[in-house]
Amino acid sequence: MRVKVISRSTDDFTRERSQDLQKVFRNYDPGLRSQEKAVEYTRALNAAKLEKIFAKPFVGAMDGHIDAISCMAKNPNHLKAIFSGSMDGDIRLWDIAARKTVCQFPGHQGAVRGLATSTDGDLLVSCGVDCTVRLWKVPMLKMVDTSDHTGDNSQACTGWIETYFLHQQSSHGSMHFLIIFVLTAVRGVDHQWDGNLFATAGAQVDIWDPNRSEPINSFQWGNDTVLSLRFDPGECNILITSASDRSLTLYDLRTSSPARKLIMKTRCNSVCWNPREPMNFTAANEDTNCYSFDARKLDEAKIVHKGHVSAVVFRMDIDYSPTGREFVTGSYDRTVRIFNYFGDHSREIYHTKRMQRVFCVKYTYDGTYLVSGSDDTNLRLWKSKASEQLGVLLPRERKRQEYLDAVKERYKHLPEVKRIDRHRHLPKAIYNAAKLRRTMIEAENQKAERRRKHSTPGSMPVQPFRKRRIIKEVE
Amino acid sequence: MPKKPTMRRGKPTPGPGKRRRHGPRLPTSMRRELDAMGPGPAHGSDDEEGSDAGIEDVYEYEEGVPEEEAGKNGRYDDVAKYEYEFDSDASDADEDVPSEEGEDMEEDDIDDGDDEEKQIRILQETTGMPREAFDGKKRKQALELPLQHGDGDGPVTIHDLLDNIQGKPGYSKVRKRLQQQERKTMTVLAPLPKVERDKIERKVAYKASNKELTKWEQPVKMNREATTLTFENDTNLGVNTVAAIASEFKPRTEFEKRIAEITQSAEIIEAHKNDGARILELNKIDVEDVRERQNRLAKMRSLLFRHEMKAKRVKKIKSRTYHRMLKKDKLKAASADIEADPEAVKEYARKQEFERAEERMTLRHKNTSKWSRRIIERGLTVQDEGTRAAIAAQLQKHAHLTRKMNSTKDDSSSEESSDENEDESDSEAKILNKGKEKIRKVLEEYNEIPNSGVFSLPFMERAMKKREEATYEEARQALEEYDDSLRKLEDDDTEHNEDSYKVAGKRTFGPVKNAHEEVKKRKLEDTENISDSEYDSDTARHLSNNEVITKHDDIQPGSALLDDEPQNDLYKNFSDIIKNPGPKTTFEVGMLAGDSWKKVKSSKGNGQRNVDGSTNKSKVLVPSIVDPKLKQQDHNSDSDSEEDMVEGFLTISDRKEKYELPSQADLICQAFAGDDVEAEFEKDKMDVLNEENPEPEKPALVPGWGQWTDIQQKKGLPSWMLKEHEIAKRNREEALKRRKDSKLKHVIISEHVDKKVEKYLARNLPFPYTSKDVYEQSIRMPIGPDFNPTTSISALTRPAIVKKPGVIIKPIQYEEVNPHEKPNELKRVIQRAIPNRNAKKASAKQGKRVTTQKRK
Repeated sequence: MRVKVISRSTDDFTRERSQDLQKVFRNYDPGLRSQEKAVEYTRALNAAKLEKIFAKPFVGAMDGHIDAISCMAKNPNHLKAIFSGSMDGDIRLWDIAARKTVCQFPGHQGAVRGLATSTDGDLLVSCGVDCTVRLWKVPMLKMVDTSDHTGDNSQACTGWIETYFLHQQSSHGSMHFLIIFVLTAVRGVDHQWDGNLFATAGAQVDIWDPNRSEPINSFQWGNDTVLSLRFDPGECNILITSASDRSLTLYDLRTSSPARKLIMKTRCNSVCWNPREPMNFTAANEDTNCYSFDARKLDEAKIVHKGHVSAVVFRMDIDYSPTGREFVTGSYDRTVRIFNYFGDHSREIYHTKRMQRVFCVKYTYDGTYLVSGSDDTNLRLWKSKASEQLGVLLPRERKRQEYLDAVKERYKHLPEVKRIDRHRHLPKAIYNAAKLRRTMIEAENQKAERRRKHSTPGSMPVQPFRKRRIIKEVE
Repeated sequence: MPKKPTMRRGKPTPGPGKRRRHGPRLPTSMRRELDAMGPGPAHGSDDEEGSDAGIEDVYEYEEGVPEEEAGKNGRYDDVAKYEYEFDSDASDADEDVPSEEGEDMEEDDIDDGDDEEKQIRILQETTGMPREAFDGKKRKQALELPLQHGDGDGPVTIHDLLDNIQGKPGYSKVRKRLQQQERKTMTVLAPLPKVERDKIERKVAYKASNKELTKWEQPVKMNREATTLTFENDTNLGVNTVAAIASEFKPRTEFEKRIAEITQSAEIIEAHKNDGARILELNKIDVEDVRERQNRLAKMRSLLFRHEMKAKRVKKIKSRTYHRMLKKDKLKAASADIEADPEAVKEYARKQEFERAEERMTLRHKNTSKWSRRIIERGLTVQDEGTRAAIAAQLQKHAHLTRKMNSTKDDSSSEESSDENEDESDSEAKILNKGKEKIRKVLEEYNEIPNSGVFSLPFMERAMKKREEATYEEARQALEEYDDSLRKLEDDDTEHNEDSYKVAGKRTFGPVKNAHEEVKKRKLEDTENISDSEYDSDTARHLSNNEVITKHDDIQPGSALLDDEPQNDLYKNFSDIIKNPGPKTTFEVGMLAGDSWKKVKSSKGNGQRNVDGSTNKSKVLVPSIVDPKLKQQDHNSDSDSEEDMVEGFLTISDRKEKYELPSQADLICQAFAGDDVEAEFEKDKMDVLNEENPEPEKPALVPGWGQWTDIQQKKGLPSWMLKEHEIAKRNREEALKRRKDSKLKHVIISEHVDKKVEKYLARNLPFPYTSKDVYEQSIRMPIGPDFNPTTSISALTRPAIVKKPGVIIKPIQYEEVNPHEKPNELKRVIQRAIPNRNAKKASAKQGKRVTTQKRK
């Protein structure tokens, strides 16, 4: 009798190093494995569950302001730097990594309403209700070798490699190199990407050169206050504003005239361009929805992003991820929501017990974090993916994560996975408000339907929601 | 003039009157002369501006005075001035001309302007034509000025110009047109209202911006369609060759410095630069040294060769005994080493310890193997002696291995001795007549046996060694004597073996087991014969005997390898199956065919003795394969050969011939006479329907309710209850009608929803998919590492966005893309520190535009 033994060549099975993994030889014949779908489904389900378990989005809070935070600006040159302006006129520069204030920019007499930085990150523009536009030099961020650093021990002891040099504080006493007085309160400011102009919004839209004390151009179309404005980061001469006459207005600097106006039923509090799709922008409307438009076809919104339950009085802010695939909104309902750029409902809701009305939100330039500034004087740092593991990942860990994500993505339409993935715990107030809102919308729809039923056929056509909130497009 | 927001900044442009002039210009006297001749070019432009103020043209901008004209810092020169410069060399000298002169000149300018104003006014009054007409004329005049070869006085008219080209081709045409124009009154459209104008402007602006935005369509589309976008930093650091990196190397340590000193010494570098021949010169080696080295190498090589040869020779020897002995020698040497130096002792101890630990861990010899477990399960008492002994030996080995270090040595000696016994017997059996060398070895071994016993005493050991050597020499010298000694040795060995029989039991294994087996087998076969009534017992016995014999033959060589009983049993079973598969299958067939068959066979079995198993089997198999109808024909053909069988069949066939007529349907009817399939099916269907759409319960009151009085009873059930029941009934009927199988008589299509399965089904078709098949296709192939090779996993599981932590992602930058290019699998978006050239150009253009705006 002959006994057959599995024989394997030693070459295939010896490891080069003792740390190497043992090679596994598999037979990939699909006939041998009939359960692969079941296996992967189970994995997807488990991945969804694990994601829920590890969903801990809140990274930390940064406190220091003594009044509500009204606006923020990120520094395109330094990932961990962010500016924030508050209602008492205080402007601060934060180090996100250390969650500390690096320096303050004192000067504003009233609330700061707008902050913007130049592309090189050296210039900070602020404006406020004290009718001033101020230009500040941003302190340099320099690389410091802590071992060589002997002079300033207050900085050396922190052990960072990068340290800010507050170069002007000592010599001049103040850090701003230009104050411009304007006639009316300024509500918003934005700086061109890859250009040297910036624009302010107030009673009119002014275009400024940082080296001049007067605007190089100013636009006025209608007599209403402009609430916010943004330059298109891809196409730096195009500019969009939202005004209190419920309008969104497009400007073109090259022809030095406004281009088009869109009037909606409610006003937009904030607008933001998609940084990777220069023709698309999203406006955060007062009716709690966000509307994504193509700037070339303003007669209807491309997508209506629903979700927030309250944005009524003051404002709702919006900022796009630098990858252009999602955006974040902060609202009066004390939540921060993340939307897909083509998703009609939010992907994620962040809230904490202590976070009050959110006035401003920003996505950091690496697309990994969010910063929200709220009524409770704190800036909060969130992860954009709630369950993402931060820090260095081993290749194997990364691969596994990728696999789990892919599997989850594949089976996300199946009811179990979907349910787990969508499940969120909400504060009672928000939950109830959302429910109420749903009821109201349903009632509205029903009413419209009944009216339609009782009127002449064709006299009340069904309008898609994308068009319903738009009144007209003004040339 | 539309009041447009001008982008003019800083100082307001100075009026023509207040202009200060610097730079080269003519002396005043000359200027005056020129003025008298006619309006100068510089002044003409001034006039133009003045007159422009009156024009109400929508499409014209208020042209800001260009900087060169404003003469802000005297950097710009007028064209006219430029011309004059060649005339006068004294421009530099005139630089410092006092301002008075300038003022003088300006006064002249004003006068000039005034003159013209007057002229226009007069013309206007006389002709009644609008002012523009004259202005236009004048403008033309100013432009044509260089052509003028002039006679100084009076403004030049178009007619003057026409005179010049008189007689040339096309003259008449021009003149005609001119006349026509003069005849026509010039009207200018009324300007549009500001609102309208703004609207038009905005339209244009929107169009322009749309056009600008549309150019992004392609890159955006590409980005969206790419399965993966990777955001990366620009990793091009510039340095990419080893040489480039090496060039920056600087020696730091002492050693490096010394090396560098040598390699970078002037001499070496010089030598390198030339042809390298000088390097050889520098590279001096002593002849003696070289020779010595060569000798050493040669010696080493020869040693190596010898060693190799020896190894080859040793390897060639096929004798197992020899090798075993060689091994033993080695062991001995090792043990000698152990005695000699403490290092080896330690090594040995460690090895022992390791073995011990391994044994303790694996418990390999402690009845853990399948074989030993099975034997114990069966009971040791049932086993034969050999097995028991084997088990005991194993246990002993375990005990030995797990015993503490101190006592291991003694055991090893005993072990060795037992091994040797074995070896010797082997050698005796196999190689009695083989080379003398081997015999010598055996002898050596023999001599050494006592050695191991007194292993622990070093002096004894040494003495033994000496003696051994002596004997070795002796043996070599007297070869003839060895034969005798060999014979003697033989006797000794046989004795030895007899002893070892009892202990080891390996030799005895075969015969003992055989007997045992035979008994068993007979039993087994008896039972088989009893059960298989059709089987000829005699032939079976005969066969089985044969089998047993063959089996013994098989086993005997195998017994050396397979020393355990159960395996043999197994083996036997296997062989059984292999040897006589026929009877078994026939048995089964018989069972299937029915009892009658068995009987037939048994009777037949009695009759046929001489027929061997194979023919028997074939006969039995035939009927089982062939159809009953065919059987009859077969019978006729077979009948002569197998009389007994035919009889059995004939009885059946006779019966069947009566029913030849009925058709297939009739047959089926008859066959299934008892069961009404259709009715059953109907009932089944009703059951299914009732289960899926249950019939409403009959309206009934709770006992005791509604039965208080007669009236209540008379009234019967309340109307609402009846109504409800009606509705429920109707609903059910409708539901039944709606079913897919409502019109299909012979089909039940279950519409029951399986909740367990539902969990694995998507409720509705996910968004981007348009058909169910496509969606199912998309999730068909697994993506995991268990189902796919490593090379393809990363592509299957790559996320849509890959970004590295800490990389600042900048907004999109414009790049020309080929619209016909297929969307790439993986698109890299590299975040450059400096934007790419195209973008830079574009921004430069925009910058220019902005500056032009400023000037307006």
